[in-house]
Amino acid sequence: MLLVVAYSRAARRTLRNVCRSHGESVVRRFGRVALLAETAFAAFQALRLREKHGGDIQIERTRPFNEFEAVDEPVREAARAYEQRDRPSLPYRTFADGTDHPDPEQLRNTEL
Amino acid sequence: MSNAGSTGVEVRVGEETHSGRAVDLTGLHAGSQRVVAAVRGEVGVDVDGADGDDATDGADAADSGGGRLAVACPDPRAVHEYVGHVRPSMGLRVRTALSAAARSRGASAPQDDRIEALRQRLADLEVPEPPETAAARRRVAGTEAAVERARERVAALRGRLQAGREAGRDVSDVESDLAEATRELSECETERAAAREALERAQRQARERRDASDRRRQLEDRLANLERAARRDLVERFRDEFADAVAVAPASEAAVAEREAVADPFETDAVTAALAVGRVADLRAPVVVACDRFDTPEAATDWLGAPVIRVSP
Repeated sequence: MLLVVAYSRAARRTLRNVCRSHGESVVRRFGRVALLAETAFAAFQALRLREKHGGDIQIERTRPFNEFEAVDEPVREAARAYEQRDRPSLPYRTFADGTDHPDPEQLRNTEL
Repeated sequence: MSNAGSTGVEVRVGEETHSGRAVDLTGLHAGSQRVVAAVRGEVGVDVDGADGDDATDGADAADSGGGRLAVACPDPRAVHEYVGHVRPSMGLRVRTALSAAARSRGASAPQDDRIEALRQRLADLEVPEPPETAAARRRVAGTEAAVERARERVAALRGRLQAGREAGRDVSDVESDLAEATRELSECETERAAAREALERAQRQARERRDASDRRRQLEDRLANLERAARRDLVERFRDEFADAVAVAPASEAAVAEREAVADPFETDAVTAALAVGRVADLRAPVVVACDRFDTPEAATDWLGAPVIRVSP
């Protein structure tokens, strides 16, 4: 999908208007952010916004996230185990310490 | 503009000079807008509205038609922006004007220190220019396909070289083609890496700029909130004085009747509100009065406690 972010009031206003007029291209809108469909028409609208507002419009293309492709089993396992921890206030670093779960640095340094 | 004694006003129209705290220009058909511009120091005003033609001979601009208008008076304070030109067609943001009047009297608000600090932070905040990301994206586009094409060519040539050698053919042409293709592949890979790096740099700059403009917007919002709070505070302190001024402001009988019907002094007509704010304010520069609430310019001066230039509406 296309992720469009508005960084000025004027850009936000135009984004809102575009979303109102072309609801069929909008997957979701949150305040100054919108997710647009993967169509050339949505891209056209996004480009029009950038043409008008320059650097105040950011356009990114998102990909569906599949955790079975993007990360290894230990990461999925760690997330599951951490959410089942007994003490809610336990930081993940401490939780992972001395176990087989990856430590936070290791996770930060691993790209998807 | 420039100073003309303590609080006096000196108005020059061509060769004529009018001075004092109450100046009557009703005989002169100077548009009140022009008189206001002259008071505010926007120099080079022609009374008859000819722009340029008779203004070409410099500062001392001689008379032709109405002649040039110059007003020497103390510099107007901020409140003059709101109530320095009283005319029937005016609109007025009464609370904003009243807080400016309070400022002219030297009043301060509890938010002032924080407002000043925020203004300083805003002035120091630099938002970089947006980077040229389109060129960087254009450069990256296609580099992947170019690498892929070069790689396929290298693989194909390797295959041919292998087959040629096994068949015992002369492979020197294929060898030189392969060397060429390998160099091309390496160039494509280098270009792809450089293009990606340039794009990442541009994206980083774009992100920094957006962070900075987000910060600026947050500061601006906080500043606007504080300024509103300060205005409310100042208005609250001068509300009674303003209401008293509204109650005694000169007006036609109809206007008085209307005023009495309206309980809230902030809902009064714009001219009355402007006069009342002017009475509350400490005005240095003359108020240009283009309404018929006063019989004489002197009466306006007395009521407002400020220098006045009376003009025809």
